[in-house]
Amino acid sequence: MSVDSRLPHALVEGPVRGVGAFTLELARSLGAIALVAARTVLGLPRLERRELVRALVQFGYDSVPLAMATAALAGVIVVLQSGLYIQRFGARAFLGWAAGYGVLWEFGPLLLGLIMSARIGARNAAELALLQVGGQIEGLRGIGLDPFAILVAPRVVAMELSMLALSTFTFLVAIVFEAVAAYFMLDLPLRVFFGTFAQMLGALDLVGGVVKVGTFGLAISLVSTAVGLSARGGARAVGQAAASAVVRGCAAIFVLDLLLTLALAGWMS
Amino acid sequence: MKRALAFFGAPVVLLARTTRATAREGLGWRECLVQLHELGGRSVWLVLSGMAFFGAVLVTIANSQARRFVGNVAVLGPAYFELLIRELGPVVSAVLTASRAGAGHAAELSTMGVNEQLEALEMSAGDPLADLVAPRVVAGLVGVPLLCVLGTVAATLSAATVAQLGFGVDGRAFMDPRYVDVWDLLAAAIKAVACGVYIPLAAAVAGLRARGGAEAVGEATTDGVVAASLGCLLIDFAVSLAFQLLRL
Amino acid sequence: MDLRATSLTVRYGTRTVLARVDCALPPGTQALVLGRSGAGKTTLLKALAGLVPVQGGQVLWNGEDVSRLSATERRERQAAFGMVFQTDALFDSLSVRQNVLLPLRRRHVPDAEAEARADEVLRAVGLLDAADTLPERLSGGMKKRAGLARALAARPSVLLADDPFAGLDPGTARQVARVLSEVSRGSTLLVAAPEAPVDLPLSRWLFLRDGRLVHDGPPAPELERAKDGARP
Repeated sequence: MSVDSRLPHALVEGPVRGVGAFTLELARSLGAIALVAARTVLGLPRLERRELVRALVQFGYDSVPLAMATAALAGVIVVLQSGLYIQRFGARAFLGWAAGYGVLWEFGPLLLGLIMSARIGARNAAELALLQVGGQIEGLRGIGLDPFAILVAPRVVAMELSMLALSTFTFLVAIVFEAVAAYFMLDLPLRVFFGTFAQMLGALDLVGGVVKVGTFGLAISLVSTAVGLSARGGARAVGQAAASAVVRGCAAIFVLDLLLTLALAGWMS
Repeated sequence: MKRALAFFGAPVVLLARTTRATAREGLGWRECLVQLHELGGRSVWLVLSGMAFFGAVLVTIANSQARRFVGNVAVLGPAYFELLIRELGPVVSAVLTASRAGAGHAAELSTMGVNEQLEALEMSAGDPLADLVAPRVVAGLVGVPLLCVLGTVAATLSAATVAQLGFGVDGRAFMDPRYVDVWDLLAAAIKAVACGVYIPLAAAVAGLRARGGAEAVGEATTDGVVAASLGCLLIDFAVSLAFQLLRL
Repeated sequence: MDLRATSLTVRYGTRTVLARVDCALPPGTQALVLGRSGAGKTTLLKALAGLVPVQGGQVLWNGEDVSRLSATERRERQAAFGMVFQTDALFDSLSVRQNVLLPLRRRHVPDAEAEARADEVLRAVGLLDAADTLPERLSGGMKKRAGLARALAARPSVLLADDPFAGLDPGTARQVARVLSEVSRGSTLLVAAPEAPVDLPLSRWLFLRDGRLVHDGPPAPELERAKDGARP
């Protein structure tokens, strides 16, 4: 006997109504996100410093080990993958370029975005949902304080700053791990790796990666904040807010990834 | 070091305990089907759309790489197809499923723990491991490989379409199985199955541990989804490394 | 069932929740477990029901050490217990009747008998009319009574009620108290509460303070008054 499950509504209802509900939901989410963005910008001048520092430590500093692990994995995985067709085409000399390009342009930002959507997106949504469910946000309003300036804006700013700081750091770690992996697994001397790397990659390629991560960070922070603030109910609502922040964050990252790749590729050529 | 041990150890211990509990209590096949339906219904749209976008990105990147040193992007097509089948299809689909199902399972189980429903289940002659964890593991074992196949197909179709319409080359190059051999399929299958078992277990470890109030639910959900996604990357890494070292 | 705890110690992480609690609860015991929140009342009830792992001492069911029982044996013995949880702990995807039937079905009680028993306990708690609604549509008092019905359906010889009066209005509390004392006649009844309920005057008090059992005997209202001031 099923103890805790409910049938997913999208499958029970007809596909037409599913599409309609999806469109409505999308419009509603975009509206909520725009509202959070606008209120955050308005809250910027009165940013609560202590909350900003706390959020920077929590979202940035505390995520460093996870970001490093992700970076190392991304680096090694990209080399393993490039190794596949480097061997096919015998283009060993290009590995530094191909691997560096892969990490800076695609896998570094994408994997970091997905993992951070889980790490800081879910956490932010859960915390805000907790405050919302416990009535603390209403409470702030009740004593004449603006919850956006005190709670929301510092978080959004801190998440964005954390993502940007983590991105450069991540790329560095990933590239070092790539070089080491190439040395051990494909017997490629470090000199050759960094030679093609420096020769064929420019500062612009790094900018591409940082722009992507920055955009993903903005998406994660706005989406998770909007989701967290709309939570209603009890413990169940907090869990659902965290879960749906991750999912919506991931969906947003994939859409933005395509748009940014197209835009940046067009702009670079 | 201790955390790394806990990261891998706890799911393994939970798997052993769940297997033992299920051998004792029996497995509810209906509940497994319900969970499979749940997993599919919740994740399929995310995986399909995410992978379709990802396929389009891959082609765009292949195109700008090709312009540097090959000339025609169609030459890279078969190699990219192999890459997609063997590496990116399973792992990106699995990470997407992990973010949906991992967060969902961890949230459900921790909510049940906080509301004392797990203990109520025990008092009702149920067993949380056999009744709740085992069906989710079975659903993951069956469902994640299916989702990986669907995700790979979506990425391939979208890649071929973008190559054809966007870059004016023959899109069929991006579904040319010239380089794909049985070892590639085996690597992909191992990854998908391993992730399918790992995602529900990692989520259950975090979810079953939660005690307290709504705060514990939020923490458990975050921990569960991080462990599930990072675990999928680690599994991909380990399998790829093993195949590379064996020169397969 | 004869319940006994000897030098029972329970820790959550580094926090000691119960420290060397000794008590004997022969069949038919009717007692209140009192103490302020965080004193260990919930943990004591759950430890007696075999729901939490014990770090020191023993819980004995008819003389058997619970931690030595296999999972299957423990499951069998647990059928003698009924527990009303602090949060109502109803399964939200099941209707009230299905919630009550779940423990019976799991213990392979024949369908006809299970249905009859479910009707009987639902009538006893006054929920027969609401039997087919989902828990989320019930009021707080009704949820509490549904939890009570689920605990009673298995005809337990030990009924453990964890703060059954929390958040109830005086009328509903009186009703719950009446059901508790009616159905538990002849069997063991332990009721945990932060202060002695006026509607349920039981003759034995177990008073917990910071995880220690400081009083086991007849009602001692002076303990409750000492609550705010002097700590030993």
